[in-house]
Amino acid sequence: MAVYDINRILVPDAPPEYEDHTRDVHYVPAPCQVACPVGTDAPSYIAYIWEKDYERAFEAITATNPFSSICGRVCDAPCEPACRRTDSDGPVQIRNLKRFVMDELGADYRPPAAPVTRAESVAIVGAGPAGLVAAHDLCVAGYSVHVYEMTDRLGGMMIWGIPAFRLPPGIIDEDVERLKQRCPGLEVHLNTALGRDLSLEELKQRHDAVLLTIGAWWGKPMGIPGEEDERIVDGVSFLRRVNAGERPEMPETVVVVGGGDVAMDACRVAKRLPGCRHVKVVYRRGPDEIPARKIELHHALKEEVEFIYNTQQVEVLPHGNQLALRCVKTGLGEPDEDGRRRPVPLEGSEHDILCGTVIAAVGQRGICEELDRAGMMQPDRVRTEWESMRTADPRVFAAGDGAFGGSTIVMAMHHGQRAAYYVRHFLEGEGEPLPYRTPYRTRRVPVAQDLMWEKFPIQEPVFVGLGDKPAEFPEIELTYNLDTARAEAARCYRCDAETGSADYSVLHREDIFSMARTDPGDGRKLKAMLERRLRLRDNPFPEARPAGLDDLVFLPANLSRLVIDPYREACRISWRLGERLDLELPFFVAGFDHCNREIREPVDRALAAVGAAYLGERRAGGEAPWLQLCTPGRDAPDPDASAVVYRVGERWHPMPTARANPAQILGLHVASHRGLDEAIAYAVERGFELLVVDGTGAPRREWPELAGAPDLSLLRETIAILRRLRKEETIDIAWFGGVRSGTDAAKLVGLGVNAIGHGVAVALAMGGEIADGVMRFAPDRSEEEREEAVRNILKANAGEASMMARCAGKTRLHNIEPEDLRAVTRATASATGIPLAGTKAA
Amino acid sequence: MVTIDLAATAVREANELIRRHGADGTDVELVNPDARHHLGVGLVHPIDVRIRGSAGYFCAGLTDAARFEVDNNVGWGVGDNMYSGQVVVRGNAGAIPGVAIRGAEIVIHGNMGSRAGQVMKAGTLACAGNANFMAGYMMYGGRIVILGDSGEKVGEDMTGGHIFVGGRVQDLGSDAELVDLDDGDDDDLRAFLDRYELPFKGTFKKIVNAGKKLRYATSERQMRSIPFFTFSQDSEYWNPKIQEDIYIKSQIGRYRIRGYGGARPLPHLADLAFRRDLSHAGRDPDVVAKVALATEIGGLNGANALKLSMPVMIAPMSYGALSASTKRAIGLASTLAGIAENTGEGGMSDAQRGAASQLIFQMLGGRLGWNIHDMNRADGLEIYISQGAKPGLGGQLMAKKVTPELARIRGIPPGIDLRSPSRHPDILGGDDLLIKVEELREATGYRLPVSVKLGAGRVSDDVKIAVKDGFDFIELDGMQGSTGAGSAEVIDYVGVPTLPAIIEAIDALEEIERRQDIEIVLMGGIRDGIDAVKALCLGADAVAFGTSTIIAGGCIACMQCHIGQCVTGIATQDPEHEKRYQAEVESRNIHRFLEGARWQIAALTHALGYSDFRDLGRDDLVALTPEAAEITGLPHEPERRATLPELRVQVG
Repeated sequence: MAVYDINRILVPDAPPEYEDHTRDVHYVPAPCQVACPVGTDAPSYIAYIWEKDYERAFEAITATNPFSSICGRVCDAPCEPACRRTDSDGPVQIRNLKRFVMDELGADYRPPAAPVTRAESVAIVGAGPAGLVAAHDLCVAGYSVHVYEMTDRLGGMMIWGIPAFRLPPGIIDEDVERLKQRCPGLEVHLNTALGRDLSLEELKQRHDAVLLTIGAWWGKPMGIPGEEDERIVDGVSFLRRVNAGERPEMPETVVVVGGGDVAMDACRVAKRLPGCRHVKVVYRRGPDEIPARKIELHHALKEEVEFIYNTQQVEVLPHGNQLALRCVKTGLGEPDEDGRRRPVPLEGSEHDILCGTVIAAVGQRGICEELDRAGMMQPDRVRTEWESMRTADPRVFAAGDGAFGGSTIVMAMHHGQRAAYYVRHFLEGEGEPLPYRTPYRTRRVPVAQDLMWEKFPIQEPVFVGLGDKPAEFPEIELTYNLDTARAEAARCYRCDAETGSADYSVLHREDIFSMARTDPGDGRKLKAMLERRLRLRDNPFPEARPAGLDDLVFLPANLSRLVIDPYREACRISWRLGERLDLELPFFVAGFDHCNREIREPVDRALAAVGAAYLGERRAGGEAPWLQLCTPGRDAPDPDASAVVYRVGERWHPMPTARANPAQILGLHVASHRGLDEAIAYAVERGFELLVVDGTGAPRREWPELAGAPDLSLLRETIAILRRLRKEETIDIAWFGGVRSGTDAAKLVGLGVNAIGHGVAVALAMGGEIADGVMRFAPDRSEEEREEAVRNILKANAGEASMMARCAGKTRLHNIEPEDLRAVTRATASATGIPLAGTKAA
Repeated sequence: MVTIDLAATAVREANELIRRHGADGTDVELVNPDARHHLGVGLVHPIDVRIRGSAGYFCAGLTDAARFEVDNNVGWGVGDNMYSGQVVVRGNAGAIPGVAIRGAEIVIHGNMGSRAGQVMKAGTLACAGNANFMAGYMMYGGRIVILGDSGEKVGEDMTGGHIFVGGRVQDLGSDAELVDLDDGDDDDLRAFLDRYELPFKGTFKKIVNAGKKLRYATSERQMRSIPFFTFSQDSEYWNPKIQEDIYIKSQIGRYRIRGYGGARPLPHLADLAFRRDLSHAGRDPDVVAKVALATEIGGLNGANALKLSMPVMIAPMSYGALSASTKRAIGLASTLAGIAENTGEGGMSDAQRGAASQLIFQMLGGRLGWNIHDMNRADGLEIYISQGAKPGLGGQLMAKKVTPELARIRGIPPGIDLRSPSRHPDILGGDDLLIKVEELREATGYRLPVSVKLGAGRVSDDVKIAVKDGFDFIELDGMQGSTGAGSAEVIDYVGVPTLPAIIEAIDALEEIERRQDIEIVLMGGIRDGIDAVKALCLGADAVAFGTSTIIAGGCIACMQCHIGQCVTGIATQDPEHEKRYQAEVESRNIHRFLEGARWQIAALTHALGYSDFRDLGRDDLVALTPEAAEITGLPHEPERRATLPELRVQVG
């Protein structure tokens, strides 16, 4: 299976030992992540950059990629063309963002060492990206690993093939040092070549398994007459010389043949070397077909490299003291096996390009006489089976360019991971493990919040190009600064994140994307999608889900009720509490008794301003009406209070109650089912005007609403008792518990409540934060700001409540009835007595 | 001049004759009108129509260019929605004279009823006598001239235009104010009055919009949405989403607005499963050819039905909420798929008409873009009563999206936070609606299917009214439907989910034995062919896809549709953003999605053992949750989740 499966439908299981989240319905790996051969969780690290949490970003980047610093500079970034923003205003610059994080943290970070826990050891031949990543994974799994490298350095093509202006040597060292730190079981044997210094047999004797990652180290010849001239060099050898530190003098004009990454590096290296003035790249197809990464091409053009397209070399001839590269022009013919159109020579188009040297970058090959003798080569790479990464020898595995032909660093790393997986299962004696699949995980980071996210253009890093001293190979571009990095991070669509709909989960959205990209004749894919969609969803309302306000909905007015315009038409929401106290908003606030003055007084002033009351044992301040909460036998009614509300304790017992003056409302505070009958009967008998029903279940603790969802059945029972007593209309009900919005308030009105209490909602509005089960207030706001926030939240909730009323066709909030509500769960229907939507009232 | 005797000619026939004479350029005289409704509606030629007596409701409604003169009185809604032309009424006019006019001149010699010129966009409504309450209610433009007294609350919630009062201004409506006359106002008025020979010696007072309610005072801080899983069913009571809502509301003092559909879990078609084992579904590559999917909708009462290649339509979505390119892409896709597209609120652009081979024209209370010419070039008419996402609320279009072009089509001032009225001026209940439906049929010669869009609420009562009012079909929209902008709380907490909605609708119609008299197109959270088949099993005649077509066309579901800066160029009117949307590419994507849905419907129907989707029935389904079982009455078989082997996806 291809790693980059654009169908995005057929996702096989990842092997169980990997952390993989693809079975989570709230997560589908984003296209960028799927495009990455090592499955980098790009959306998460991008989001962490926004949050300035570089350490977590670093973790997300390096979790599947031991060469993150290198990739931050020179990865060919298949993630970027896969980015969904590519089609609108350009992809998120995922690679540059990685570089930003690695530049911030990469140099100093030392990962924890993974101890050796296994007796077996593995030999790896070749210290390129495939070999070292395999070494890393095997070391992390507890094996000892010996890496045999024929040169004097670790890194393979990363170090010998990529010029320093793109990848400064210090960057490679960062990754290598980190890898060594992580892998104490890694032993490196430099200057040790297979066939020269030791044989495959010796390796097999010393180790339990051998992995060949020999690379494609030699350039392919162009295969044209005159090629043997010493002024013709191959691209990889040329780069190797330069990366070894040489700065050879170049002729005035250099021609590079080829259009791949080696050609791009070679032409740009030549451009920087002493003596060189002109560099021409000869490529046999056109600019649309050239395989070089767009950014490399772009940079080469900026550095004034000349590109000669649709031109194919046919011969090299001496021309005075120069060379003449004889070429023909080409047209595009039929597509060949890789889907690209074949260049076709045009007759009579022969012409010469004069130059001092030709660098041939037309492909690479692996050469190993030792393996050739053993019959393991086919002919320029190790014959290897992709499904198991095995060679003909059952104890010998192979990966990377040397096994599958020239590719990219990140693909070689994927090979290394695959190979490590199969080697491990071989060593553990498991013959046929589940096929390897790149694991995808998410770190569930909130989306970036910049207001400009949808307007930010691509943030281009500063391009320096050749610089003042080209031969010193200064780095070509600068990294982002904090601002540009965050601006770029904010651009991410966050395809990984569920953005807010139960019906359209991320998974389902992906299915729709897929349907929209499936040919109507592709029956196999259509069937696979259908199968996936026929999977049954879990019950969104499991048995344990408690009854709650969330599961009530309003019935709108349509034809059977007169529609009221919620934007314009008036809706009365005021309430005369207990026939005595006029509240402009039918709200009260409770639960701030224990707060200090800086918190209580803004609440009080805001309540006075909006026309609502405070319920508590002491006044919030001096302005708003006060509903005094009294403990019987302890507190005396205060003449300043608008109401006196007696608490019923854990158990009902008759209590002395009195009002300080006849204008006061007399009320009872009930908080439990126990003794509710007697308490209500008592209140009704005594002519109380108010019942405060506290549904928090924890009336004695601070911030009782933080205990969880309120118990709505207490309200239902209260009303049932009043109805039995035929006193429903004679006593007001005030509710306290879990009111978060005007919608909650309106629903409670529908359930029979007259005045609605706010506690935590007001505290949150004032800037309170929930911590350790209580609200905490930081001294970050003025009293005026807190007061304004309280006014605003109460006004907003009043507006919401009246909007609900009007949607239900009411011009008065208190006209909402049970009949205007429906439940969407059985639990809520049963707790409230409201019928389930679509069913008839009992 | 020809004379038509209404004592001997039915109104329907008379209107046909009037239009025919209009095309010939022959003036018409109507005798014995006897206050019949809908006289002259739909006339689009500049002829004179003389009515010798009184006319009923909607006289001269939905006309353009003709000149009407009525000897006596008119009922309500005279000149309804006139584009140009004139009406002179020698007697009195009932309520809402000049409702929604867009350029005509209407002159009432006597008094006029309440809400004169409601939602008018342009033109002049003049009255020599007194006006009743709320003249100029929600007017967007044009002028009202009242020579007598204004009545109460004159200019209530007007957005634009001018009201001139010669007599007493009893009191001003909300957001209206008195200002001095501009230079030239008086001359213009007197020239107008002279033209209609209305003597007036007094002075005028001028009333305009005071500008206090045109835009929200403080704008809500734009935020990207909190991922859903952090506030889904098992999250904390005071979860981050709740906290964010409270925090934002404490800054703006107002309800929050957002776009997209409902966010929280509700009983859904997804809580149903098919009774049969469908593991073989779709094995036949040619399944689409083996199942009859073509159907017609809207022809029950003799109108030209919509011809659908499958029982699917596009749900109404407006140009305004969506960019012109997006509407174009959807229209093209609907044509390729052989189904019907819908204009949504706000009128029909030439581009939309060109893209969609079958187009339903939606008509709302604000009468934005509603006119006889677009009705005539539509393939179906739809009266919007409410929508599932925000039933009870009118459309909202934030100022950022009200561009001059859009304002022109809708006939409103550019740059206002448009909050469409949530009630039709002339539909206060089922009886009014009956007359309205008749007017639409009269005006378009009974050619077009007329449907009603209902956000699910008291579905049982509402569908009974709809069938009695003579609609051809109902577009029933469950609360999982989406919107370009609406109160976040209304989106999630007002209305009934799609699943109970269809059950209630079918049961109610069967209860009064009228199921055969009306068709039901179900919408609201119907996501693909699987949902569609379940809806068809439950009794819908067809379904409509909205959000899923948008997603197919590139929507990333960021829920910021209301802001107007859609990053994908879908829900925006900003050219910089819109150019990110490639209509040709996305129309192909949307079309492929629709074809995929067709394949799914065919594959499932076939696998259930039928060759025609009309054979699907409730018996083909079972319920997976106690809620779904109770709502649908289907057997509750939750164990199916366990017994169905995890469908293993095969590799490549």
